[in-house]
Amino acid sequence: MSDLPPIGPASVVVVSGGSRGLGLAIVTDVLDRGAKVAAFARTITPELQQLADAHPDRVLVASVDVNDHKALTAFIKDAEAALGPIDALVNNAAVGQDAMHIHMSPQQIGDIIATNLTSPLVLTRAVLRRIMARGGRGRVVMVTSVCAQRGYSGLVAYSATKGGLDSAMRTLAREMHGRVLVNSVAPGFFASEMSSVLGDQQLETIARRTPSGRMVEPDNIVPVVRTLLFEDTNLNGQVITIDGGSSI
Amino acid sequence: MSALSRDQIRTMMAEVLAAQGKEMPAEDTANLEELGFRSLDFSELALRVEDETGEELNFDAPGLRQIQTVADVLDFLEQLQAA
Repeated sequence: MSDLPPIGPASVVVVSGGSRGLGLAIVTDVLDRGAKVAAFARTITPELQQLADAHPDRVLVASVDVNDHKALTAFIKDAEAALGPIDALVNNAAVGQDAMHIHMSPQQIGDIIATNLTSPLVLTRAVLRRIMARGGRGRVVMVTSVCAQRGYSGLVAYSATKGGLDSAMRTLAREMHGRVLVNSVAPGFFASEMSSVLGDQQLETIARRTPSGRMVEPDNIVPVVRTLLFEDTNLNGQVITIDGGSSI
Repeated sequence: MSALSRDQIRTMMAEVLAAQGKEMPAEDTANLEELGFRSLDFSELALRVEDETGEELNFDAPGLRQIQTVADVLDFLEQLQAA
C-alpha cells in the first residue's frame, strides 16, 4: 500500500483577482496564516497595495491582466524569485455576466470564456509546472460558482466557464495523482462587484429562496478556502458549494 | 439596411402581441406588465428588428429591466439601433 505523507500547508500562494472583494479577503487571510502571497489583478487597489507595503517580505503584487499569458508567466517567475517556491494557487479572477445568451455577441461570449476558463487553465498550468519542476507538492483552489450546478437566467456563458473549471478541477485532481490537491469552492450569489449587476428583484428572490435565510458573504467563503490551502483534510477533486443551502 | 422607424417597430410589436392574442394599446404610456409583454417578448421583438435591419442588437439585462412602458420599448430599440 502506498503511504504518501499528507501534502503540507501552503507556504507561497498565488491569488488571481486579489485586489478586491473575495480575492482581497483571501489574500488577507493567507497572510494572517503566516504564508506568503503573490497577488495580481488588472488594477492594484489601495487596499492590496497597503498589504504589500505592510508585508514587503511576504507579499508581491502586480498589475497583470489574466488574459495576458506572457505577463502571467513573467509574474509567476517574479513571484518565485521574490517569495520562494510557489506551492498553491487560488484561481479567483473572473468577469460576470448579465445578459441573455441570444443578445450577446460572439465576441462577448469569447471574452467571458477567455477570462473565466482559458486564462485560469493557463495560470494553473504555469503554477503546476513550477511545482512539478522542483519535485514539489501543492494545492489548487478554483473559485467557481453555484451557477455551474443550477440554471440562472442571464448567465449562460458565465455558467459554462464555471462548469468547465469544475470539470477541469476533477480531472486535474486525478492527473496530479497525490502531488497536488485540487478542489473548487462554489459560492452562491453574494454581494460582490459581479453580483451587483443583478437586479434588486433577482437578489431578493435569491435571498428568499436561501434556506439559511441569508445570502452568502465573502467571510463565509474564506474559511473554506483556508481549509483547502492549509489543513490536512484529504479533500481532493471536490466542489464545495457555499450557498446557504439554496441549491439543495 | 437602414434603421427601422418608431412606427415600424410599433407595428412589429403589435405583431408580437397579436401572435399571443393580445392587442397593441393606443397609448405609448401603457404598462408592459399589465399588457402581458414580458422580457422574452422583448427579445422576440428585438430579433425581428435584427432580421429586418441585418444588424445585431446586443444588450445586457440591466438595460432591459428599465423598460416599463410601450414608449420605453420603442425608445430602447431606437437607441440600440443608433448605437
